[in-house]
Amino acid sequence: MDQLLQHLLNGLLLGATYSLLGIGLTLVFGLMSVVNFAHGEFYTLGAYAAFAALTLASVHFFLAIPLAIVAGAAAGAICERVLLRPLRGQSIDTVMLVMIGVWIAMQNAELLGWGGVAKSVPTPFPTQPLVLGPVSVAPLRVFVFVVSGGLILGAHLLLARTRLGRAMRATFQDRETAALMGVSIERIHTVTFAFGAGLAAAAGALLGPVFLLYPSMGDLASLKAFSVVILGGLGNFAGAALGGIVLGVAEELGAGYVSSGYRDAVGFLMIVAVLLLRPSGLFARAERVG
Amino acid sequence: MSAIARGLGLLIVATAPAWVWNPYHLHTLIMAGIFAVLALSLNLLLGYTGQLSLGHAAFFGIGAYATGLLTVKLEWSPWIGLLAAIVLPGAAGYVIGRLALKLRGAYFVLLTISFAGCVSLVSVNWMDLTNGPLGLPGVPPLEIALPGLPVLSLRTKSAFYYVVVAAVALCYLVCLALVRSRVGRALVALRENETLAASIGIDGTHYLVLAAVVSAAMAGFGGGLYAHYTRFVSPEVFLFTYTVTMVIMVVAGGKGTLAGPVVGAVLFTVLPEALRAATSWQWQMLLYGILLVGVLFFMPEGIVPALRGLGPAARRRWSPS
Amino acid sequence: MSRAIRALSVALAIVFALGEPTAQAQDAVKVGVIEPLSGPVAASGNYVRMGAEIARDWINAKGGVLGRKVELLIEDNKSDPKEAATAAEKLIVRDKVPVIMGAWGSSMTLAAMPKLAEYGVPMVVETSSAASITKQGNPWIFRISPPSEMEALGLEKYLKEFGIKQADFLAVNTDWGRGSVTAFGDLLKKSGASVGAVEFMDQSATDMNAQITKVKAGSADTLFLTTSVEQITLVLKQAQEQRLTRKVITTGGSSSPSQLIKQAGAAAEGTYHILFFLPWFPEAMPDGKLAKAFVDEWAKRGHPFEGLTEGFRGHDGVLTAVEGIRVAGKAEPKAVQEALWKVSVMGLNGPIKFEKDGPAGKESGQSKPSIFIVQVKDGKIALPAFAAKK
Repeated sequence: MDQLLQHLLNGLLLGATYSLLGIGLTLVFGLMSVVNFAHGEFYTLGAYAAFAALTLASVHFFLAIPLAIVAGAAAGAICERVLLRPLRGQSIDTVMLVMIGVWIAMQNAELLGWGGVAKSVPTPFPTQPLVLGPVSVAPLRVFVFVVSGGLILGAHLLLARTRLGRAMRATFQDRETAALMGVSIERIHTVTFAFGAGLAAAAGALLGPVFLLYPSMGDLASLKAFSVVILGGLGNFAGAALGGIVLGVAEELGAGYVSSGYRDAVGFLMIVAVLLLRPSGLFARAERVG
Repeated sequence: MSAIARGLGLLIVATAPAWVWNPYHLHTLIMAGIFAVLALSLNLLLGYTGQLSLGHAAFFGIGAYATGLLTVKLEWSPWIGLLAAIVLPGAAGYVIGRLALKLRGAYFVLLTISFAGCVSLVSVNWMDLTNGPLGLPGVPPLEIALPGLPVLSLRTKSAFYYVVVAAVALCYLVCLALVRSRVGRALVALRENETLAASIGIDGTHYLVLAAVVSAAMAGFGGGLYAHYTRFVSPEVFLFTYTVTMVIMVVAGGKGTLAGPVVGAVLFTVLPEALRAATSWQWQMLLYGILLVGVLFFMPEGIVPALRGLGPAARRRWSPS
Repeated sequence: MSRAIRALSVALAIVFALGEPTAQAQDAVKVGVIEPLSGPVAASGNYVRMGAEIARDWINAKGGVLGRKVELLIEDNKSDPKEAATAAEKLIVRDKVPVIMGAWGSSMTLAAMPKLAEYGVPMVVETSSAASITKQGNPWIFRISPPSEMEALGLEKYLKEFGIKQADFLAVNTDWGRGSVTAFGDLLKKSGASVGAVEFMDQSATDMNAQITKVKAGSADTLFLTTSVEQITLVLKQAQEQRLTRKVITTGGSSSPSQLIKQAGAAAEGTYHILFFLPWFPEAMPDGKLAKAFVDEWAKRGHPFEGLTEGFRGHDGVLTAVEGIRVAGKAEPKAVQEALWKVSVMGLNGPIKFEKDGPAGKESGQSKPSIFIVQVKDGKIALPAFAAKK
């Protein structure tokens, strides 16, 4: 029983980070139809930005994270403005390939700049784990969980309650009408992409201290993000949030009780199952998937 | 294009081993040929049905393993192995096609990624079958053993070059025949407007499954060729980078055309090697990424359509070449 | 079709034009180096490269070999076997190197091996641990790193001191990890201990909590860990989080305990590590002076201290390759291959001399490297009490 509880806790913590990765991508992929293979690279960028702030500029830990988010959002905005906007009318495959190029370029630039040696991020949290009955957890991970939750909530509020959020939703539901209503479509695209990149960077800045920093850390993040997006349904914000948790718990239980070698297969099989049985996502209302 | 130029071009391709004296370059051409087969196969799905398979490395890998296992563990003839490399992935393609049924677009993409991920994990973990991460070294080379005649080994580079050229030509012709046939027209109709096509009785799923089977079989064929050339098969054949490379070749070359994937394959096999020769290892991949973005930025439809003067505004016809 | 042929011809022309090797110093003796310089194990590959460069510079400072300077031609295999084979081909055919060192990972080495046999060029294997490399019947392979079986034998003499009754295994899901599990598992069973849980993790995985939870639920007293230093750091941190109290022994020689202390902190306390080079106690190495000089030179170049546990491989590999050329009397592949059997040189790890390994008539060369064990005690590296006496 203790084992099960620990597995569940692990899964929950892991899932929260997957959620954070997923909601950024679901907006970009689901609403802008951009297959953003560079999503993981904004995650990496956020992690290295936080690291740079902490070690080079001696910024306080709690300030480094917002800085990383800003860096990620800015990079996203530039990327959208410079690369995506001129290619607006192009096929989804061309755009996807451009993002693949960005992925390769960013990762290798990071390799060139920081070197391949993994870096660890100093944190102000004690390393002694908190003991909650039969399970234990590091204080840092609790912090990450709480902040992730806060960011997800904040993003949801931004989308649902603010004017900007309304404009974003309107643009992706019906461009022409939104434009007629005075929404600047170009600006919304830039903002949406920056938003997604910023969330990815946030995930990177939060997870960097939990794990380690190395240039290819974003590859796995990208893959998990795409999985979460499908589980939750394209463009479905709440779905991605919940889907992340589901994926995390499923992976933990699969690795714990079935086989650790096939751990990632759990995620894949879940996706296959969802796609075949409920393609619009576990949490979506029925919609066309064709 | 004049007949003379066409003939000259054919001559160059046909006699390459004679004047490409550097075996390293011949090796590059052979790899380009294998990738041309892969790119042509992916193009069937991506270019003609409009559905993107990001798990194509899975079919490539299954083909490589099929022939690898049969020739190394059971010591069967490589030609039978090659046949298995076509049939087994084709069957897998059928399964994927049927499973996908109503899935399109992003959903189809994710299904293919998941499939590839699962197959990759099986190849690494199912040690008894595949030898896991240790791989299958010692895959025999192809050879022609006709009764009564001496065995003609196709292990040398020059010999294999011709095998690959023949393979590319064969696959090209298969694609050509498919595209020009009724099936091809149906596929394009589906790509352009599936609802409309359905309304005149074209069954999308049926044709998608057909395209998936041929595409997968062809990719498997490429995998078989790869196995008998490099003579070593390991789970790395399922690496995502192989799929990405194939996609780059098709899209940058020009999807929906038949020359595009071939041109893309040659260019994007030669390019990394050129970068290897031109720059030190630190800059190779960074430049590669930048060049990729650049190519697409200026030729978003792909290289072959750009060379033909088709702009983004032109409607893409289904006519091959 | 016509367009395709035209484009193809253009491409061929480009390839043709690139064929001309760049004008190189006619004097220099070239040694090929194939390492993963990008991708997930870029750090390790680069450490080996750095060690190789130090060896080259030292050799050249002493006059080079056969009166000529040594030049390293460094290729990146991008952690991909296909690239390793292509790099080997390029080095052999275009650059005409008489000997190569590489290719770090076992699958990369295995992929390059057919090329070595095809062209008849020897390769010094500096890191790969898969047993199959020297059992293939490829007479062009000369390995200075220990296969997992040899490494396990190195632990044998300390087994009683450890008092292991049951051990769990957590290894990376590659040939290295699996080979290690088999080799050490066999060793344990031979000495009467038993094997508990055997768990694996993907090379790029960052969350090993599930595996740790499973290990914790068992009753073993020791945990064998075989993976890269980054994953070891993560495992130790996550084990600390789950309050796993076991004896931990890392294998493979890549664990860089200094980096572990820096990044895992208290979580690394008490762990044991099997290594092939001791940068903290260079005097304890078979050639103490050489080891100290290497450590100093490494520091002088500003390379990270943590990389020494892997960087020495590059040095020993190049040293061996160049010694082969020297003994051969000429920079010619077949001569170097024959000469390598006669090589007997003192490297950083210890004496390097090749013995026959593999099927008769086509044996590969395998040297017997020295194996060491260290422990992290009070935040510092120490030779465990039972190993301190050399």
